[in-house]
Amino acid sequence: MYHNSSQKKFWTFDKEATLEQMRYEANTTFRSKILTSGKPGVNESIFLDPREEKVLFRHYEKRLLDFCTIFKPAMPKSVVGTACMYFRRFYMNNSLMEYHPRIIMLTCAYLACKTDEFNVSSGQFVGNLQESSAGQERVLEQILEYELLLIQQLNFHLVVHTPYRPMEGFLIDLKTRYPLLENPEMLRKSADDFLNRAAMTDAGLLFSPSQIALTAVLNSAARAGLNMETYLTECMGLKDDKETLSKMYDSMRRITSLIKEYEMPKQEEVNVCKQKLDRIHAEFVTNTNLKRKRGYEDDDHVVKKPLVTEEAEWTDEDLEFL
Amino acid sequence: MDDQGCPRCKTTKYRNPSLKLMVNVCGHTLCESCVDMLFVRGSGNCVQCDTPLRKSNFRVQLFEDPAIDKEVEIRKKVLKIYNKRDTDFPSPREYNDYLEQVEEIVFNLTNNIDVENTKQMMEQYQRENRDIIQRNKAKLTREQEELEELLLLEQKGNEQRRLETLEEERRQLQAKRKNKQALLDELESSQLPASLLLAQHKDRAAQSETQIERQKQVVKPTIFSTGILKGQTVSLAPVARVEEVLYLYEPLHIDTHGPPVPQLEQLGRQGYLNHVRAASAQDVAGGYTSGLACHRAIQDAFSGLFPSLL
Repeated sequence: MYHNSSQKKFWTFDKEATLEQMRYEANTTFRSKILTSGKPGVNESIFLDPREEKVLFRHYEKRLLDFCTIFKPAMPKSVVGTACMYFRRFYMNNSLMEYHPRIIMLTCAYLACKTDEFNVSSGQFVGNLQESSAGQERVLEQILEYELLLIQQLNFHLVVHTPYRPMEGFLIDLKTRYPLLENPEMLRKSADDFLNRAAMTDAGLLFSPSQIALTAVLNSAARAGLNMETYLTECMGLKDDKETLSKMYDSMRRITSLIKEYEMPKQEEVNVCKQKLDRIHAEFVTNTNLKRKRGYEDDDHVVKKPLVTEEAEWTDEDLEFL
Repeated sequence: MDDQGCPRCKTTKYRNPSLKLMVNVCGHTLCESCVDMLFVRGSGNCVQCDTPLRKSNFRVQLFEDPAIDKEVEIRKKVLKIYNKRDTDFPSPREYNDYLEQVEEIVFNLTNNIDVENTKQMMEQYQRENRDIIQRNKAKLTREQEELEELLLLEQKGNEQRRLETLEEERRQLQAKRKNKQALLDELESSQLPASLLLAQHKDRAAQSETQIERQKQVVKPTIFSTGILKGQTVSLAPVARVEEVLYLYEPLHIDTHGPPVPQLEQLGRQGYLNHVRAASAQDVAGGYTSGLACHRAIQDAFSGLFPSLL
């Protein structure tokens, strides 16, 4: 249940400003880390600023969703929601410049399959990438390498409550207790759509899944020209509790506006940021993080050479599966 | 067993069941007759290892392996010198070290390892700790005496009890016989009818019987089975009771931050189950009911629905 979950305790925040503040801090932490490391030729201009990070985040999140939709065998919605939430939570405390979103997003999806009991083998998972089998092998290796880091950064809170089951619950409840509505099933399509769009916003970090689901249902009803206020007052027992009712309307408005405000990042903007990101990773990150790790396992001299080419080989363009 | 025999005359237990094997300090066996023959003068050398031996040191072999006999002998000797107790040491650790040292010595002597040095060490130890050894020896004998005294006391008690019961039985028997005699006398001399006399006698017999029973009860218990004397007053007052507040069950209350969820059992009656997929026969076999999924969905829908009022 959500009410005594780690999601409520640790991953539900009071307002948008808190989230922005955390992301800003992650960004500055990474900057100061690189600046103090004393590398030659470093200046502020090469870093991504928080806004650019947001653009890239949205871009990769969209790609994560797209990857999940075309995934074979078909992925249940709760797995997609979980993966999306992992991705979001991970970059609350980490900068995109530190860990490349390209691999983190796949790791999130892979981990979500496991935690949400959607059984796919690792081979099957990377089989969904449009790559040569050698390339898939490499990606898999990286996923496994980042998996533990991801779990740790999620603070081992792996259970994610998505709004999909609550929505089913509301539909059942509507059918049972709200005969005013003739055909609740007709709300499903646009409510589903609402939830999919909500997954791409911070709603999951600010509101409980049941609130999001109810907003989706009521929003869908409003589109169909139905007023469902009596459902709240009669069935939810809020007739005499004006304060809670107004607060609920308030949070529903906030959820709706979050979704309305969402806009896809522009492609040219994404391209600029991506170049910047790739340069940062090529210069600072790959040689501090991944390669060093592997260097411990194998002999430095033997491994270093192929690794450089490998990094060059595997870029976003290989992942263009759409 | 079959290879147990005298190494000199080659007699075995199988051929001579009354064969008596003897062991001396070196741990080599000889049969009794060989010992008698070889050690006529009271001393001689071992047939196998040439150790000078005395006839008086031969012991009957108790264990199948003569080496064990040898070890037992050595241990007895060593422990005469190394007779410290755990109370003689400040810490268990040191006592353990000491015990290990003793074992080391016994092992060395038994297996002829570094015998000279070990013996020297023992002698040195004996010189250094003469006082303690003497004291512990005295203590040991004292303890032995105490134990024997205790045993003696117990034996005495048992004997006394046995005599008492014997005496008691004898007295009873006598009383019975006297009773019978009295009846016969009365039947002979009295004017009353025989049936009445018989009844009287029966009465008296029963009375004496109960009296004996009572006596037995009086005599027997002087001591409880726990060893507490009968006369001793044992406090029978119950252990003081600690006044405690009784446990009161309070039903678990969970704040779901949402509207109340109908009970699982009531879902069907309230019509919820008409709106979910019915469970198939295979599902039900595994213990699944459609109510479970329905309940979960509704619980999830209502959990945390109301924004917290700050």
